[in-house]
Amino acid sequence: MDTDLSHFHQVFFDEAAEHLATMEDLLLKLDLAAPEADDLNAIFRAAHSIKGGAGTFGFTDLTAVTHVLESLLDRIRNRELALNAGMIDVFLHAGDVLGAQLAGHRDAADVDPAAAATVIARLRALAADGAPVAAPATPAAAPAAPAAAPRVLRIAYSPAADDAETVTNLLTELASLGEVNYAADEPEPGRRRHVYTISTTSDESAIREIFDFVALPDEVSIEADDRAAAAHAGADPGFGFFDDAPGRPPEPDPGYGFFSAPPTGEGSDPGYGFFTEVAAPAADEDPGYGFFEPLPASTAAPVPAPASGATPAGPASAGASAAGLPPSAAKPPAAKRGAPPAARAADKSAADASIRVSVEKVDQMINLVGELVITQAMLAQTVSGLDPLLAERLLAGMAQLERNTRELQDTVMSIRMMPMSFVFSRYPRVVRDLASQLGKDIVLVTEGENTELDKGLIEKIVDPLTHLVRNSLDHGIETPERRAAAGKPPRGKVTLRAAHQGGNIVIEVEDDGAGLDRERLLAKARERGMAVTDAMSDPEVWMLIFAPGFSTAEIVTDVSGRGVGMDVVKRNIDAMNGRVEIASARGVGTKVTIRLPLTLAILDGMSVGVGGEVFIIPLTYIAESLQPTQADLRSVSGTGQLVHVRGEYLPLVPLYRLFGLVPETRDPTDGIVVIVETAAGRVAFCVDRLLGQHQVVIKSMEVNYRKVPGVAGATIMGDGRVALILDIPALARKS
Amino acid sequence: MNPSPHPEYLPQAGNELLTFTLGAEEYGIDILKVQEIRGYDTVTTIVNAPTFIKGVINLRGVIVPIVDMRIKFKLGAPTYDAFTVVIILNVAGRVVGMVVDGVSDVITLGADQLRPAPEFGAAVDTRFVLGLATIDERMIIVVDIERLMSSEDMALMDAAAA
Repeated sequence: MDTDLSHFHQVFFDEAAEHLATMEDLLLKLDLAAPEADDLNAIFRAAHSIKGGAGTFGFTDLTAVTHVLESLLDRIRNRELALNAGMIDVFLHAGDVLGAQLAGHRDAADVDPAAAATVIARLRALAADGAPVAAPATPAAAPAAPAAAPRVLRIAYSPAADDAETVTNLLTELASLGEVNYAADEPEPGRRRHVYTISTTSDESAIREIFDFVALPDEVSIEADDRAAAAHAGADPGFGFFDDAPGRPPEPDPGYGFFSAPPTGEGSDPGYGFFTEVAAPAADEDPGYGFFEPLPASTAAPVPAPASGATPAGPASAGASAAGLPPSAAKPPAAKRGAPPAARAADKSAADASIRVSVEKVDQMINLVGELVITQAMLAQTVSGLDPLLAERLLAGMAQLERNTRELQDTVMSIRMMPMSFVFSRYPRVVRDLASQLGKDIVLVTEGENTELDKGLIEKIVDPLTHLVRNSLDHGIETPERRAAAGKPPRGKVTLRAAHQGGNIVIEVEDDGAGLDRERLLAKARERGMAVTDAMSDPEVWMLIFAPGFSTAEIVTDVSGRGVGMDVVKRNIDAMNGRVEIASARGVGTKVTIRLPLTLAILDGMSVGVGGEVFIIPLTYIAESLQPTQADLRSVSGTGQLVHVRGEYLPLVPLYRLFGLVPETRDPTDGIVVIVETAAGRVAFCVDRLLGQHQVVIKSMEVNYRKVPGVAGATIMGDGRVALILDIPALARKS
Repeated sequence: MNPSPHPEYLPQAGNELLTFTLGAEEYGIDILKVQEIRGYDTVTTIVNAPTFIKGVINLRGVIVPIVDMRIKFKLGAPTYDAFTVVIILNVAGRVVGMVVDGVSDVITLGADQLRPAPEFGAAVDTRFVLGLATIDERMIIVVDIERLMSSEDMALMDAAAA
């Protein structure tokens, strides 16, 4: 290709990564006894798409692996080959190799070619000792299978530009499908024709694919020597890849600039068929490789590609480009081009209905909406002093503005929110690999995958969660023998749960393993010179494992045990303004709960006045506020004051003292008591006055200054002044 | 013995300096580090911060800490009125403001005008002094403002970040 395709590489890398993820996900979920046809097809399509794109960009190492992989997958989904657990392992391994190769191209990283060779060999071996129906995929092997008789196909290839290397490459490729004989002639002067006669059990589509990347559709013709011409005419040799029906109008943007070879005047499709399959994925296959779907469809004229009835089991590529043609027996109805996608996977249609947007644009939008909120708050404050009778329309307009702004803000904030399934999706693999490595039988259960979390937090939570999951697997769940001895079911269970709770998202990692050993923890702590007492409550003892270097593991494995992980986990979670707690029972299991704030930039807060300064208390923490009477107050010598609220005695903490300010009043009955509820319990804060409830934009202190203890951030009030947002959990803990 | 200024920190000929007064001395800093010059407006105090950190202000939507250099270098009782000057700096990737007595002008340093500074008892630690410049009759103490603001005793930045 003369054109430089490198700036399209990123799209390929992104999409290929998605395909690999889909593949792995489905492979892990497959039920070996009764695999879903849809899933098998989807796995095949994923591999196929990767191969197509890799071929376009000349990533031959990927095409080599995916070619063998997809052939095998094809046979499996056509029920020519039975699926077994060993195959899943090899497929997963192939996915890993592809990922590494992808990374090699994307990051210019080193790739081990031996890994690819090994995986190809393993795949070929699987194909070889598969069901007797299938012919082995090894090159030039005589078809040994009794059931499928090899056909002889005659392929005539007349390239416009002759290239000896291409010719030989084609020969090698074709050889992998069966026995090939080659002859060349020159039926017209100046135009060489290469004839490959192949005896193969593969169908035409497989052969077409080999020619896909090098030949124009009209340069290749395939005939079956033993087939009736009528049946052949019924087949669509282009399988919809090549819309070479003569009557088609030329595409407005031929080849999208990819191919420098000019569209010939032979009425062929100048888009070379690669880019016509847009926006309308078939129920089944996607011969556009999924890469070019978002591009607008060129002329909407449907392609009258005849149904590919002749090929019983080939990839039904006719689907995408054929315009609603009557399907042959096994084919699902094809989608009309440009028409909304056919019945099938709702997620496929959902995937098409999305747009890729750069994170910076989203962040910029969030910033601008934040500024809008500030401006609106300022206007609201200015307008609030006006006479309602005189400024009735203005006030009504302001109310409307506030509603609109709030809605806009909610919508914009939700753009960055992604479901937890993005995080949870990687763990089945981790659990599977680690469990087999440790010789344990463990199942992973996930709940609440639809719970949404900000994209930034998702990226940050993955590492800590991974460590917790690995810990559960390594230290928590016992070996099957020990579990049986303890009367537990031999299969251990690790549960990942996510849910919204108040203004937070709560993520739990729970296992039904051995639980934490209180005595061992205390002993280890004493060993390390930490100040512990036997009077410490269980939760306090569990928190010891977050101390740096703390590990009671008897054996240090490469998975865990070095005592490096848990403190990093805690630090990461703290950095996200989150909290982590542990609950555990000996012999029953352990549960680690992570709480993260949901709202990032915008916060509902109550502004309070203390000593002439304005502070913001996030509304999510406020349980209630009241003005206590003298009767409600109690003094405990040495500890300070308590306030009696609804049968509970809460510690009374004067905020002015925490901040070293001079308050308007030191008498709690003169001021207001704000009761907050945190993970550490309920605390009653004394403030001078309540000023109002606002929605504020959180501005970071750390950007230009540093983290101030007790302060979660700052905000700009309507009058332009800065108010500090209190870090309620930290303050509650301190008191 | 005062080391001569590091060549890489030395403002080259043609560099412009913003000069300001602090106490009895006049200082010069690289103009490229100066974002803007403002008056002193309401500052929100920060709990438990050193006294020379007055607090933070809202600079067009960004939270910026303000340091009063007169308090930091113990130059007598500072006043805050309509003439109080705050120089907003852009150093070490952060925006910080410093209160000074007054801003003079912008001068251009010629190659021969910068001399290494001898050991002397100016308010600013000689670690941060790049040299002395003489313009007309004035002696300008050229200061590496970035290093000064990033230093630990300014308590503006966390040690890890500085």
